[in-house]
Amino acid sequence: MTTAQPEPAAACPVHDYTPYERKPLGEWTAFYDRLRQEAPVVRNLFGRGYFIPTRHEDILAVLQDPETFSSEAMVAYEPDPAYRWIPAMINGEEHRQWRRQLGPYFSPREIERVDATVRARARGLIEQLAGRGSCDLMTDFALKFPTAVVLEVVGLPEEDLPFLLELEEDIIHAVGDPEDVIRRKVTAIDDVKRYLAGKIQQRRASPTDDLITKSLDIEIDGRPVTDEELLNYWQFLVQAGLDSVAGMLGYFFHHLATHPADRRRIVDQPETIPAAMEEMLRAFSFIVTGRKVTKDTEIAGCPVTAGSMVQLALKMSGHDDTFYDDASVVDLDRGTSNHLAFGAGPHRCLGSHLARRELQVALEEWHTLIPDYRLGEGEPITEFGRSSGVNTLPLSWGR
Amino acid sequence: MKVSIDLDRCCGHARCYAIDSEIFQLDESGYALRSDIDVPPSAEEKARLAVTSCPERAISLH
Repeated sequence: MTTAQPEPAAACPVHDYTPYERKPLGEWTAFYDRLRQEAPVVRNLFGRGYFIPTRHEDILAVLQDPETFSSEAMVAYEPDPAYRWIPAMINGEEHRQWRRQLGPYFSPREIERVDATVRARARGLIEQLAGRGSCDLMTDFALKFPTAVVLEVVGLPEEDLPFLLELEEDIIHAVGDPEDVIRRKVTAIDDVKRYLAGKIQQRRASPTDDLITKSLDIEIDGRPVTDEELLNYWQFLVQAGLDSVAGMLGYFFHHLATHPADRRRIVDQPETIPAAMEEMLRAFSFIVTGRKVTKDTEIAGCPVTAGSMVQLALKMSGHDDTFYDDASVVDLDRGTSNHLAFGAGPHRCLGSHLARRELQVALEEWHTLIPDYRLGEGEPITEFGRSSGVNTLPLSWGR
Repeated sequence: MKVSIDLDRCCGHARCYAIDSEIFQLDESGYALRSDIDVPPSAEEKARLAVTSCPERAISLH
C-alpha cells in the first residue's frame, strides 16, 4: 500500500474546507447538497485530502465493497489511526466471526425483549420534564436517555454517566487544531479503555449475567478473545451507543418542533411513528464515516489510488434527488426504509435495532406526555460538517 | 409469488422482518434465515414493499 498523495483527477472538483467549522443548523446540509450538484465525486484538501462520493449509488457501492474500501481507517482525515475499534475497523474472516457472535445480543428479537426497560427510562425522564414547560432537548433528554439505556443494557452503573459523557466529548466533539484534536482524542480513548479494563477484570473475578460477562466467552479462530480485543470492542460500542441516538433525536425533534402538521400526525396516529422515524432517518442521516482505499480503483469515473481516503457523508445518500423524489423534503408517506442512515454492507451498524427501538420509544413516550411544543429561546442551533448532532435544542410547551 | 433473498448480500438491516416477521424470518444473529420463500397472494404487496425497502437490494421477486 502506498502512502503517496493521489493527484487530484481532472473530473473531480477540488475543495478546501474544514469540517470542524460550526455553522447554523442546515448550512452544512445545503453545502453538501451543492457538492452533489457539482459532481458525483469531489475532493477536499483538508488533512491529507480525501474523496467524497456524493450520490446514493456510489456511497452504497463503496460500503458494499470492503475489500477495495477498507474500514481500517474510518475518519477521512486520520488515514493511519492509532486505535482499532472492533468490529468497526476489522475486516474479512475476523470481522465475520465477531459479528456472528455479537449478532444474537443485538438482533431485532433480542432488542424487542428490552422494550420495557427502554420505555421506562424514556418515560421517567420525560415525566420529570413535562411540568417544567421548557427544556434543552439535548442536555435534558437526548444525551441522558440513550446513555442510561446503554449503561443498563451493557451492565454499567448509572453513576458512571458524567465521567463517560465527559470523555465522549473529547473523543467525538473535540474542536480546534486537528493535531490537538487527535491528541485529546487518543488521551480520552486511553481513559475510557482504563475504565472499561477495570470493568472487564471485575467481571472475570465476579461474573454476572450482563453483556460484559457474556463477551468474555467470545472466541476468534478457536482461541479466547484477548483483553485488548475486548477493550477495543467495548470502547467503541459504548461510545457509538451514547452519541448516535442523541444526535438523531436532536434532528427529529427540531423537525417536529418546526413542522406542526407532522407532529400532529404523530400525536393523533401513533401507529405511524415507525414509518415517520424511517423517513426522518433518511432525511437526517448525520453520520459521516470513511474508508481507506486498498488498491487503485475509481469512483464514478474518478481515479482513486491505493492509500487514499474516502469520506462517506451518509446524508448525501438520503438527499440524492437522483435516487429519492424531492429528497430534501420530509414526506412521512414516503413508505420506504432503504436509506443508509445505519450504513450498508458487512459493517452495517451493529446497534441499529437498539437505536431504532430507542428512537421509536422516545417519539411515542414524548408525544404522549408532551404533545404540543415549539422551538424555545436559547443559543443559536449549530452543527459541524461531520458526525455532529446539534449543540442545543431549546423547546417550550404549555402556556 | 416467490421471493429470493441473496444471503451473501443480506447485512441484517431487517427491514423485511419489520414488514412481515412471519414471511421474512431471521436467524439467531438477525440475518435472513431463508433464501427462497413462497409468498401467499394476500402478502404480495408486503413482498413488493420488502424489495424496495432493502438497503442492500438483496431481495427479488419471481
